Amino acid sequence: MEESKESKTSFLSWIEARVSLTEIVSFLSLFGLLPTELDSRKPLREALREAMRQPLPSYARWPHVLGILSFILFLFLGVTGTMLAFYYQPTATEAYRSATSIARDVTFGGIVHQAHRWASILFLLVLVMRILRFFFGGLYGKGRELVWMVAVLTFVMATISDLSGRLLPWDARGYWTMIRAREVTDGLPVIGPLSTFLVGGTGLDSLILTRFYVLHILVIPVTLLVLFYVHFSSVRRVGLSPVDAAPVKRSLQVALYDVILLVVFLIGGLMTLTVLWPHPFDVVADPLSTPPNARPPLYLLAPHALQQMLPPFVPAFLRGLLLEGLFAAVLLLPFLDRKGGADLRRRPILIAGALACACWAALTWWGWLIEVKR
Amino acid sequence: MIRFRPVPGLVALLLGALPIVASAQAPDSSAQSAPRVSASTPRSLAPSAVAGARPGAMCGVCHSDIRVEFDRGMHRSEGIGCVSCHGGDPNAITVETAHRAGFRGAPKRRDIPALCASCHSDVARMRPYNLPSDQYALYQTSQHGLRLAKGDDRVAVCTDCHGVHDIRPPSDPKSRVFTRNIPETCGKCHGDSKLMSAYGKKDNPVTDYAAGVHGKALAGGNDSAPACTRCHGSHGASPPGTGDVAKVCGQCHTRVRAYFLAGPHKQGMDDAGQPECAACHGNHRTEPATLAMLDKVCLDCHEAGSKELKLAGTFKTMYTEASDDVARADRLVEKAARIPLYVDDYKARLTDARTALMECMPVMHAMDAAQVEPLTRRARSIADEVSDEIQKKLDERVWRYVGLVLCWFYLLLTAGVVLRARKRAAARVDL
Repeated sequence: MEESKESKTSFLSWIEARVSLTEIVSFLSLFGLLPTELDSRKPLREALREAMRQPLPSYARWPHVLGILSFILFLFLGVTGTMLAFYYQPTATEAYRSATSIARDVTFGGIVHQAHRWASILFLLVLVMRILRFFFGGLYGKGRELVWMVAVLTFVMATISDLSGRLLPWDARGYWTMIRAREVTDGLPVIGPLSTFLVGGTGLDSLILTRFYVLHILVIPVTLLVLFYVHFSSVRRVGLSPVDAAPVKRSLQVALYDVILLVVFLIGGLMTLTVLWPHPFDVVADPLSTPPNARPPLYLLAPHALQQMLPPFVPAFLRGLLLEGLFAAVLLLPFLDRKGGADLRRRPILIAGALACACWAALTWWGWLIEVKR
Repeated sequence: MIRFRPVPGLVALLLGALPIVASAQAPDSSAQSAPRVSASTPRSLAPSAVAGARPGAMCGVCHSDIRVEFDRGMHRSEGIGCVSCHGGDPNAITVETAHRAGFRGAPKRRDIPALCASCHSDVARMRPYNLPSDQYALYQTSQHGLRLAKGDDRVAVCTDCHGVHDIRPPSDPKSRVFTRNIPETCGKCHGDSKLMSAYGKKDNPVTDYAAGVHGKALAGGNDSAPACTRCHGSHGASPPGTGDVAKVCGQCHTRVRAYFLAGPHKQGMDDAGQPECAACHGNHRTEPATLAMLDKVCLDCHEAGSKELKLAGTFKTMYTEASDDVARADRLVEKAARIPLYVDDYKARLTDARTALMECMPVMHAMDAAQVEPLTRRARSIADEVSDEIQKKLDERVWRYVGLVLCWFYLLLTAGVVLRARKRAAARVDL
């Protein structure tokens, strides 16, 4: 026991003489995992011991869990996604075969695939809950504008990632979801043509599948990473959002154990979802036969319904402009509504927000109905 | 350099104007009784302006509506003009002269088949088109031709089915004799209950056909489905004789006919004067061939409780059990494919099962359970085997729940260790 401990120490010191481990570990602090900086002049053990004992007031309270949860889910998606990418072939002829082969033939491939799918759903849910918490808690006041905007943009990026991810298995459901989703977004001025340009066309063929693949595994993850960095950086500057409860003093080490516990239960939850409610594969996509259940994804049903609801004489670009205006209003909310706090009398916008959420839910329901009736 | 280019219209106008001037200068009595073409025709359509364009063009000056109709047909492009059928002088410019030389006018109905045959029976003339030249001979043997020969001119002649002036090839979807249009063409007469009652026909074969499987298939876009002429013939149209029904149906349903001939029904039906296939399946309103038929049609001839009815019951049981097994295997394959499990092999095997099942239907016409049984047994054994194998694979997936429990056990163990470490860390640090 003593020997192994000593050899470990000696290995650490051996490597520490050649490379600054402290510097490498302190790199993690950029992403908020370590809210303090490490003293890179000291050896790693000493620097960590010092950092771990630093007090963290009110860290890891339940409301704050959404932020770290979204980042853990992002990492989890990254790990499982990398595993899937080892086997996946992004061409129209091979995509379905390789995707089903992952789920069927590769050891634990089915579990990794399902876990990736469920994690993406949880990721979207957590991001929505975070935006709602920021809004109803009035947590985007002076100084926190960036946090709000990053949260909104992260959600948008996550939806694009989700949509392109559904396309990759090239089964009928994913394929037609993408076709219907692009019907909604293609009508938007500027954004529509831009997205068409980015993926290289309005159709859906092998080349476009490859582009969505690159978006899914490279462009969007990197963008998300940048957004997470901006978020953590901003939070380090302006501090965590205030909560009403009395501050609890904890050391960083305890907080990190909490994160580990979070990861453990998250994996447990994902495994449970995976085993109990697996996503079945649909039949292979056939551009010539539209399945009856081809409809836009849940988060696009409300814009879809809004576009359908407007009278026919409203030109298409105006409908698109209306949607873009609404999105801009949400994104720039901190500059439109300068008052913070959750006090209803001070912030009547809360009622407007609640109404907007209700409208969104109603429109989603209505969009679902018109799609089912179709 | 200036080139002289004669304007055909202008030259024709000048040349064509001469006789008009001549006739105007030399009035005769007949010119006054018949209207003059030049007087009743607008200047732009003056006969001389279109004269010489092609034979028969002058007829269109007066009969413009017929000419428009004729131009839609196929005869126009084959150098057949008005005079080929109607006679007369196509280049004459007065009605009188045009209707003089061998002019036949509208041919009488009873003369039409012979008139058409004057070209269409000519082997040499039909050869370049690869058209048969025996239509007239066939027509004379048909019910239409026989009745026409007896002087009944209400029967169909060539023009009733092919059209008068706008005759199109049968491959043209607008043609009256295009496969999908045949029921309507025949139905013009055979769907007319007033006309048909004169011949003692009470049922309406056209509506019956439309309600049957063949009519529905044809209307649904299946051009291989038989229209009237497929069973009755076209030029030699005649209802098949009682003993010939199986031959007619057997043109398409070859396997069914073979088993029918081998079975006891052929002789029995012929003896009883029953129209073979039509006795059970109907003629125009052909019912879909399902097992449900066995409950109804057998009772028309056989008594309930007879050994024939028992045989029908045996067929029904054997087939239903086999098709239920195949359907169950299909559902399992579908379920497994969505997980996804390997199902290509099962799918191929089930195709075999379905083939056996499909073969049962014609084989049943031999009315021999010993011939049907191997087929249903084969379908059932394949389907059951596939179902069992898939079910086994699906059952093996229960191990996932065991895996989940083990996973939680490990995770909770980890959580316990982490919690202990966390408690220690919280106690160690004094903030």
